[in-house]
Amino acid sequence: MEKKSVLKKITGSREALLAVILIILFAAITIVSPSFLTPKSLLDMLKNNAVTMVMSLGMLCVMLVGGIDISIMSTLALSGMSIGMLLKYEHITSPVLAFVIALLIGTACGLVVGLVISRADVPPIIATMGFMYIFRAMGYLVSNGGEWASAKALGSFKDFATTKLLGINCVIWVIILCYVVFFFFMKWTRTGRKIYAVGSNANAAEVSGINVKNIKMLVYVIMGFLAGLGGALQVSIYASAMPDMQQGGEMDVIAACVIGGVSMSGGRGTVIGALFGSLILATIAKALPLVGFDALWQNTIKGILILVVVVVNVILQRIADKNALKGREM
Amino acid sequence: MAGKSGRSINNVPEAPIKKMILSWEGILVVLFILINIFCASFSEFYNLSSLLRQMPIYLAEVFLMLPMAYILVLGEIDISVGSIVCLSATMSCIVCNTGAPFIIVVLTGLLVGTLCGLVNGVILTKFQELPPMIVTLATQIIFRGIAEIVLGSGGSISATNTDGFRLLGGKVGSVPYILFLVIILAVVFAVVLGKSTFGRRVYAIGTNRLTAYYSGIHVQKIRLIIYTVMGTMAGLCSLFLISTSYGANTTTGNGFEMDAIAMAVFGGISSTGGKGNLAGGIISAFIIVCLRVGLGQKNVHAQVILLILGVLLIAAVALPNIVGQVKRVVKK
Repeated sequence: MEKKSVLKKITGSREALLAVILIILFAAITIVSPSFLTPKSLLDMLKNNAVTMVMSLGMLCVMLVGGIDISIMSTLALSGMSIGMLLKYEHITSPVLAFVIALLIGTACGLVVGLVISRADVPPIIATMGFMYIFRAMGYLVSNGGEWASAKALGSFKDFATTKLLGINCVIWVIILCYVVFFFFMKWTRTGRKIYAVGSNANAAEVSGINVKNIKMLVYVIMGFLAGLGGALQVSIYASAMPDMQQGGEMDVIAACVIGGVSMSGGRGTVIGALFGSLILATIAKALPLVGFDALWQNTIKGILILVVVVVNVILQRIADKNALKGREM
Repeated sequence: MAGKSGRSINNVPEAPIKKMILSWEGILVVLFILINIFCASFSEFYNLSSLLRQMPIYLAEVFLMLPMAYILVLGEIDISVGSIVCLSATMSCIVCNTGAPFIIVVLTGLLVGTLCGLVNGVILTKFQELPPMIVTLATQIIFRGIAEIVLGSGGSISATNTDGFRLLGGKVGSVPYILFLVIILAVVFAVVLGKSTFGRRVYAIGTNRLTAYYSGIHVQKIRLIIYTVMGTMAGLCSLFLISTSYGANTTTGNGFEMDAIAMAVFGGISSTGGKGNLAGGIISAFIIVCLRVGLGQKNVHAQVILLILGVLLIAAVALPNIVGQVKRVVKK
């Protein structure tokens, strides 16, 4: 009996399990390499993974309604490259304006993707695959066929990523802000709950008066907005803009969500889960060299981790279902 | 859900749907002719012999499209194939460089691909609740990761003993072997999907997996076979890829899965399952190959070609839906 309840708890609270995994990871890494658990190293880790962390929030929304978006890193490249070129040729100089432009471009991209998916009924994977090509190519065209915007060209824009506010880097404040906003948005606003409703059962949501098409569009707009933000952050953090930046990075974002317990079929997943998922990915990427693994191993281990997480999830679910059945028999 | 399969009982008038699918292939054939006229007027070097010469690089991806069509008809997706191509290309280059006979090299390529496909298939059938997208996402990272580990810090390998691969890239007259093989395999895959019991079962599973299961179809066995064949074809693709580049690196096969899916979907095979046939997929594959050769000759940037492909892909899926919606509104 006792064993059953423990299992139930674990399957019941995904976040608790993830937190435990994260703590174990932290402890194990610190034992091998004490330099890991210092504020500086942790903050660096956050800063280097800012883009993935911020964008996994958007992916959470998209996956909650049962969709997927693999065009995000192309949107990121397009928005980042656009502001990079604008700053390089001094069409704009104000960093604030650059941020606004990046966000606008990202949102516009998201809107187009959302319209195609919600209004023309194109399956998300197909639509975003097409837009992955389109936005990436537009990024190339914006860059005059492969030009870079180097650190020198970016002027004061790159200072954003080195400025500190209350002793913490601005980039990290952005992450914190995003997560706090989304935590409230998903849990306590009507729109947030509507996203869950549509993901759990689109037909039921439709019948109960939710405009499913608009919600489906909204999540891609949110995703686009965050991809625009990611573009600005990426350019600022790495002090350069190039058209092929973050190519393939969308898989990291999806992986973070999956590890965080966001279900591909929709309706299941939380902001905290996305946070832990991206933190676990970031920790492992940071820890592998520290514990003596070659950087070459990083991808393989990441892939195996995703596989193990989803398989364990299925097994736990099966056990839970079996126990539930047994309970009914008795 | 009626009409998704085009074969549901509620949807008695079957003819219009059949007509639509037929006309979609009709459109594709017209498009194929138009693309060729366009390319010929666009580039003065575009003719049959230059097409045949430059085709093999792009034709290798058609090998991936054929089994990918089966997977899409199942209503599933496999995004790990690009990485399988990378891993089996790497392994066959390594075996080739040990001086093994060429037949062993070929077997290695095919075997590595098959094994990778089998891994996908076994995971997906043992844990059938898992979405294929996630599993193949993970194996995509793993297979390429293994290739990265094997290739080491250099990240590339070139085949030193290229005789065998040169033979593979050979020609009869001016027609490359690969074209023959593509056509033979295309016919085989199309006939099996369209005319055999196995193929009809694939449609049944794609239309409604549970119903298919209850009507006595070994759903998991069929899925396992298809994913394994997908791997084998990825291995075949990798061999022909080496025969054009004589080497492999960590980016070999990058994005191939997307190209293969794009070819199939553009050919009218629905990614939601149960719909479409391989004839459309094959015509669309040749449209894309011709477009790439033609635009490539004019030094159009690869990214711009991808942009055109992206627009075509979305338009191919979106337009019929929009037309359908407009028709419904007009009827009302």
